Amino acid sequence: MTRPTSLLALTRRSLTPRSSPSPRILRTGTLLHQHQPQSQIHTTTAAITSKTTTKPRSTPQTPRSHARTYHSEHHPSQPHEYTNSQTTILSAALHHVPTHGFTRNALTLGARDAGFLDVSVQLLPRGEFDLILFWLASRRGLLRSKVESDGLLAGSGSVLSVDEKIQVLLMERLRLNVEVREQWQDALAVMSLGENIPMALSELHALADDIMNLAGDQSVDASWYSKRMAVAAVYAASDFVMTRDTSAGLRDTEEFVARRWADARALGDKLTGVRECLGFMGSTAVGLGRSWGLKI
Amino acid sequence: MSSRSLWRSLQTQTRRRLAVPETPYRCFSCTRQAQAQPPKPNADDERFTHFGFQNVPESQKESMVKTVFSSVASSYDVMNDMMSLGIHRLWKDHFVRTLNPGSALPSRDHDAAGRGWNILDIAGGTGDIAFRMLDHATNINHDTATRVTIADINPDMLAEGKKRSIQTPYYNTNRLDFMEGNAQSMPSIPSNSVDLYTVVFGIRNFTDKQAALNEAFRVLKPGGVFACMEFSKVDNALFNAVYKQWSFSAIPLIGQLVAGDRESYQYLVESIEQFPSQEEFRGMIQKAGFMIPGRGFENLTGGIAAIHKGIKPLN
Repeated sequence: MTRPTSLLALTRRSLTPRSSPSPRILRTGTLLHQHQPQSQIHTTTAAITSKTTTKPRSTPQTPRSHARTYHSEHHPSQPHEYTNSQTTILSAALHHVPTHGFTRNALTLGARDAGFLDVSVQLLPRGEFDLILFWLASRRGLLRSKVESDGLLAGSGSVLSVDEKIQVLLMERLRLNVEVREQWQDALAVMSLGENIPMALSELHALADDIMNLAGDQSVDASWYSKRMAVAAVYAASDFVMTRDTSAGLRDTEEFVARRWADARALGDKLTGVRECLGFMGSTAVGLGRSWGLKI
Repeated sequence: MSSRSLWRSLQTQTRRRLAVPETPYRCFSCTRQAQAQPPKPNADDERFTHFGFQNVPESQKESMVKTVFSSVASSYDVMNDMMSLGIHRLWKDHFVRTLNPGSALPSRDHDAAGRGWNILDIAGGTGDIAFRMLDHATNINHDTATRVTIADINPDMLAEGKKRSIQTPYYNTNRLDFMEGNAQSMPSIPSNSVDLYTVVFGIRNFTDKQAALNEAFRVLKPGGVFACMEFSKVDNALFNAVYKQWSFSAIPLIGQLVAGDRESYQYLVESIEQFPSQEEFRGMIQKAGFMIPGRGFENLTGGIAAIHKGIKPLN
């Protein structure tokens, strides 16, 4: 009975800024009400990966030269970029997602809140899918800011391994979806429509890429691909589990993520073992052949 | 053999002007009569514009277009079906469905929007689009407050639309209005008063398209949408060849056989050819001050027609 109100409260809490001093992605919706320049909103939400834009950031916590990964400073922009008006409507519409879901109604209400007309949702040619993509992109940016600014991974005393960091990040990203948990299966259904699959997958890849980068993965071999695929697969599977999870603090999902990640590691280890075994057998065969006088 | 000669006749007829003696009792070719009027003596300092493949003084285009559409008004629907093989209905349905007219959500206390849309359908004489939009608003969005004003420069087309509106539930209600007017200047419509401005297969006949776009920008409310469906450029070369053959050979022939008016349909296909490409027209919409959503246009049936949209920004 009290679920809708509690969900709303939850949303409001997480959509409004806590007490951090500098404007962050989290604030997109509230920035509007504070009459901040729109360009800033645009920067904080859409330019999540591009550092060249004027992101209002105080002193960087780590010098960029040390934190450099294989992520380019001039990372190509996202496949979906929004204009100021689109961002305004979408951020306002996010407030209506917990009650109306990822639907055109939420978009319409967002447009009305932003001072537009009902007809103005024509600004978003993909309709509700634009809202979903915006949600994904903004939550991804939120995850990045949590690590880079709020010190998500630096909190505990001991230094985490890359594997542990990945799990923490996966769980953190899943927790960001909790407030729309009731609506998320609908969103997944929209994402699985044929015309939407390419963009949904590219967004999933962007998330996996971000998680690997934030976890400090430095691989430059074929495992670059396999690790990202593993992260993407674990995330996609846990996303489903999360929508059905009723345990306190997403404990079941957390265990699920840990199991799936262990499986992925085990599979990787098995593959490495098989490869090494084949390598040994091959070199043994070559050695045997040579001992028999074959010219190999 | 016979098929070859038919093929040849189809090809040559595009270039051949029929020498039909003008008779007082039957308007076989109204366009030619309009063109037969002697040009004004001060024509040399006048600006010229396209009328099909011909250049005509700007002052005359309006009346010539009027003549064309007066002559096709009665057979408009049959001809559209035959020329487009019925596809124009799919286009129009798609156009209306993507616009989704009507407010599905009730208006909240502080909302300015949500009390029905004010739609202006330009060049919508026969009511094709207007009735579809009203149907969509009523049946899909359960919005009985949305109203449409049909504006057309041509009283004959408006008469056709009025005749058809009798069959609809909107006849004689305040949801449907008819207005005779020129889209380049509509002083009777106040500024910032329209939610949605549509012009379907009409804008290529306008004498000054940019002026019409500017006028659309004026009458629309901030946040209002300009939506336009118009014939455009086919992007596939092979399909384009087939399409050109069809439009320059078959359409004037169908016009001659069905509507008894070849020249009007010759003008129709020529005016399609003269209309700017998708990208050029998008530039014109932007020039008028509109915001462009995404790519700005959507091609239909390989680019034979395209839907263009623009949104008037908030201040």
